[in-house]
Amino acid sequence: MFRINLKIAFRNLVKNRVYAAINICGLAIGLTAFILLLLYINHENSYDRWSPELNRVYQLRERHDFFTPDNKQYWQEVNDSKVAALVRENIPQFKYVTKVDNTWGSGSSIKAGSSDPVMMDYIRDADSSFFKVFDYQFLQGDPVTALNQPNSIVLKQRTAIQLFGTDQVLGKEVKIVMWRTDKGTPMKITGIVAEPDMPESLLFDAIMHTGEKDKDPINYTNFCRVYALAGSDIDTAAVNALLQKTYVDFKKSSFVQRKISFTDVYKTGKTPGLKAIPLKEVHASPPFDISWTDQIKPVIALSVFLLLISVINFVNLATAQSAQRAREVGVRKVLGAFKKQLMVQFLLESAIQCLFALFLSIALVELLLPMFNTYFEINLSFWYSHQLLGILTQLAAVFITITLLAGLYPAVVLTNYQPVAVLKGNYQHGFKGVRLRNGLVILQFMIAVILMISIGVMKLQTSYMADKNLGYNKAQLININTNYDEGFVNHIRRLPGVQYVASTTQVMGNVFNMPEEISYQNQNYNMNTVTVTMDALPALGVEVVNGRMFSAKYGQDTVNTVVLNQTAANLLGKNIIAKSYDVKSENEKYTFQIVGIIKDYHNEGFDKAVLPTIYKVTMLGGTSSTNNLLVRFNTVNYQPVIKAIEKEWRALYPDFPMIYTSAEDTFQQQLKSSHRLVQMIFLFSIVSVALSLLGLFALSAFMAERKIKEIAIRKIMGATDFQVINMLNRSFLILVALANLVSWPIAYVLINKWLQGFAYRIDMPFMPFLMATFMSMIVSILTITIRARKAAVSNPVEALKYE
Amino acid sequence: MIELKDIEKYYASKGVKSYILRHVSTTIKQGEFVSIMGPSGAGKSTLLNILGMLEEPTYGSYSFMGEDVTTLNERKRIELYRNHIGFVFQAYHLIDEMTVEENIEAPLLYKKVPGAERRSRVADILDRFNMVAKKDLFPNQLSGGQQQLVGIARALVAQPSIILADEPTGNLQSAQALQIMELFKKLNEEEGITIIQVTHSEVNAAYGSRILHLLDGVIKEDVNL
Repeated sequence: MFRINLKIAFRNLVKNRVYAAINICGLAIGLTAFILLLLYINHENSYDRWSPELNRVYQLRERHDFFTPDNKQYWQEVNDSKVAALVRENIPQFKYVTKVDNTWGSGSSIKAGSSDPVMMDYIRDADSSFFKVFDYQFLQGDPVTALNQPNSIVLKQRTAIQLFGTDQVLGKEVKIVMWRTDKGTPMKITGIVAEPDMPESLLFDAIMHTGEKDKDPINYTNFCRVYALAGSDIDTAAVNALLQKTYVDFKKSSFVQRKISFTDVYKTGKTPGLKAIPLKEVHASPPFDISWTDQIKPVIALSVFLLLISVINFVNLATAQSAQRAREVGVRKVLGAFKKQLMVQFLLESAIQCLFALFLSIALVELLLPMFNTYFEINLSFWYSHQLLGILTQLAAVFITITLLAGLYPAVVLTNYQPVAVLKGNYQHGFKGVRLRNGLVILQFMIAVILMISIGVMKLQTSYMADKNLGYNKAQLININTNYDEGFVNHIRRLPGVQYVASTTQVMGNVFNMPEEISYQNQNYNMNTVTVTMDALPALGVEVVNGRMFSAKYGQDTVNTVVLNQTAANLLGKNIIAKSYDVKSENEKYTFQIVGIIKDYHNEGFDKAVLPTIYKVTMLGGTSSTNNLLVRFNTVNYQPVIKAIEKEWRALYPDFPMIYTSAEDTFQQQLKSSHRLVQMIFLFSIVSVALSLLGLFALSAFMAERKIKEIAIRKIMGATDFQVINMLNRSFLILVALANLVSWPIAYVLINKWLQGFAYRIDMPFMPFLMATFMSMIVSILTITIRARKAAVSNPVEALKYE
Repeated sequence: MIELKDIEKYYASKGVKSYILRHVSTTIKQGEFVSIMGPSGAGKSTLLNILGMLEEPTYGSYSFMGEDVTTLNERKRIELYRNHIGFVFQAYHLIDEMTVEENIEAPLLYKKVPGAERRSRVADILDRFNMVAKKDLFPNQLSGGQQQLVGIARALVAQPSIILADEPTGNLQSAQALQIMELFKKLNEEEGITIIQVTHSEVNAAYGSRILHLLDGVIKEDVNL
């Protein structure tokens, strides 16, 4: 029985090969997107799961407003280093606590023997407990004692191979240079750890133990990450309550020592906080950005829609085809087939098509993965995935779901045919499911039209962002990843082609905001402060609105004058040039004079509004140590100048390579994420529109076939070809028009929500709506007409001859 | 074998009953070869459909092999199809995607006849109908007469006790029609299979043992030949 059903299924596929191909290809495309998404989700879900021990590892998060893009409080990964001791002493549930460097993205130079130094992003300094908390597999060395001695280092296997060409390097030395002027420290290699087979949220190339992390500074705050290993399974809520209480007590007592009032610090709605989150959740809850689960929500929606469109095609074609199969159902029923048996037969046929689609999509996934990986800067694989079994299970589930979704309704329609009706040879009545099919066509086109409107609006918004005046000149500007050093600056300032060399704490790509409360005309304002060198504002190329920028001509500029940006100026009112404001701090009062107002310039993506900002020059222009050294060139062809700067650099700092980015690249980097979304939606829209049209084409072909007799009779009565084409078009165009009608408000709401996410955005445009409707109608008419014309020009005698 | 009592079939539209069958009562015994005749619209096909349980009568009772089958659930009805009733259609109604052999085999599959027996029974029938050479052809590769032979073979393979045939020769040329009628006669006489056919043709009816003349839904004449 199964074999013969299988045979019949194949024969039917071959017979209706065009429709089968449309079904299978459509489903395959839908499935491909879905599988890629599945792989991505699996990958993101696999962070920090490479050892069962990690179930008991927690990351400590302190709530504070340092290093934040908007001076608001966040639960941050970087904590006051004193938190570690606090946790170790007060929370008995945690067996080990370790402190480890946040790398701040600056990188360290590592040198093996006499070879060239290599820049590595993630050489982290940790205390001796690191490998007691993190269960890395040691290929060489002892996890318990590896970091006991100061100046010891544990390398990842790949790091060792990169540096030495082998991993047999236990006991050898490497020289670590942590910043430009660092003399360098020789470190003894005390361990080699294997690379885990799943991704880690705390990336490292090497973990070193300099001794710095063993102590906490008294007079200032050292920020680092803190992780803890629980002795056994713990009640996170209870531990967090205890952490919070301990932390508040600690803050209070430290304020008493520093003679600051607790209520003063937290009066502006800010609150102290400390909590532990399981390591497994760290990747899914980044401190500032939206988490990946939120990021991919639109993509999930898109893939589901795409899959839905292909399933709709499947259902529509299958029910349309059902007329062909009606007689077979009738015959089988009088031959003694139960409904259930027929049901199984038709589901089997859907399953075969789904299976083909699945195989095709797996091939497509294999084909597309390399592209996908480069595009999303990720490393996914299908067959070599360590989660292959899980993925296959998921695919089996998807396969069953799709088979049921696509096959169940047609199967029900088919098996419900009454033999007495279909065997008389009149299956006009047997042509069921018209209403559902129409509904599905509407749904399909709704999705397509909404996507088309979306790409229209998104294209407009992205080109608006790409062309928007940033407020500074990003051409011929580079940012060297280093601090302002008068000696080095003097060297490169003399180079021909260099116009300005300056430093600032605020430039796109590396922003360090400092909140400050000022008092102006007896009113308090919250401002953001940025420290710059004299030349920073001209180096950026910002525009003066009123007053002047800093200049060496004015001695007081290094003492107490400030420049405001437009947003800050608007906050304070009119005519503020030459006026003064005060900053109060611990019993003292400082007065600053406003000498100029500059246009706002952007240093974050366009999703964030520009903060009201005060620009100050520091004494020597040197304390703004946030690794920004801006160099503006006065020539378009500045590559040779960069070479010259690098030469100067090498002479001064032979053990530390120079790292720089151009302002243009930084800007493109900022646009990247929204660009990606737009491109992805663009791709999905094209595919879904194409699939919808393919479905429409097949459906209209079926319609034309079914109406062949009606067409013939109409032609005999004198209808022209054009009238016949019109007749066939009309029934579908009503559906497409209806779909458009419903799509407009939905698209409006969705896109409006997307636009709200941008602080700088276009007004809702009307054109994309009009274009989408126009396009969907025109393309539908063309699609249907291709098939309808064939039916219309056929000779009516052919259609009427056989009855 | 078959007992119809006061069978009525009508459609009510806008309060007006339009009758297809009225007061049809008759008994058909095992081994009879009955032809139902009458002009178009007399209710011949409806009567056959009711006999084949494809339609239910509006009124009256129908017992098949001593069992009341006037209203029967689908499962029981299909059991009857599997074991007792074979259908032959005017338009043959072979399954296009199946070869001759597979078409004949289909009812046995539903009857869950074991593989070996299935094959031997299909081979037997193919042999009897001289169609061994054509067993791998698809219906559209056969002439109308040959297709109808396959249709009959398919009806016979499950060894039914009754064959219901709705104008089995309606689409055939007269030579082929004769062949089919000879076959029916032989099956009836040699194997004792009850046959009920609807036909327009006096010639075809003459092959049977009894003729029911239908006019406007009423049995006008019941002739034993």
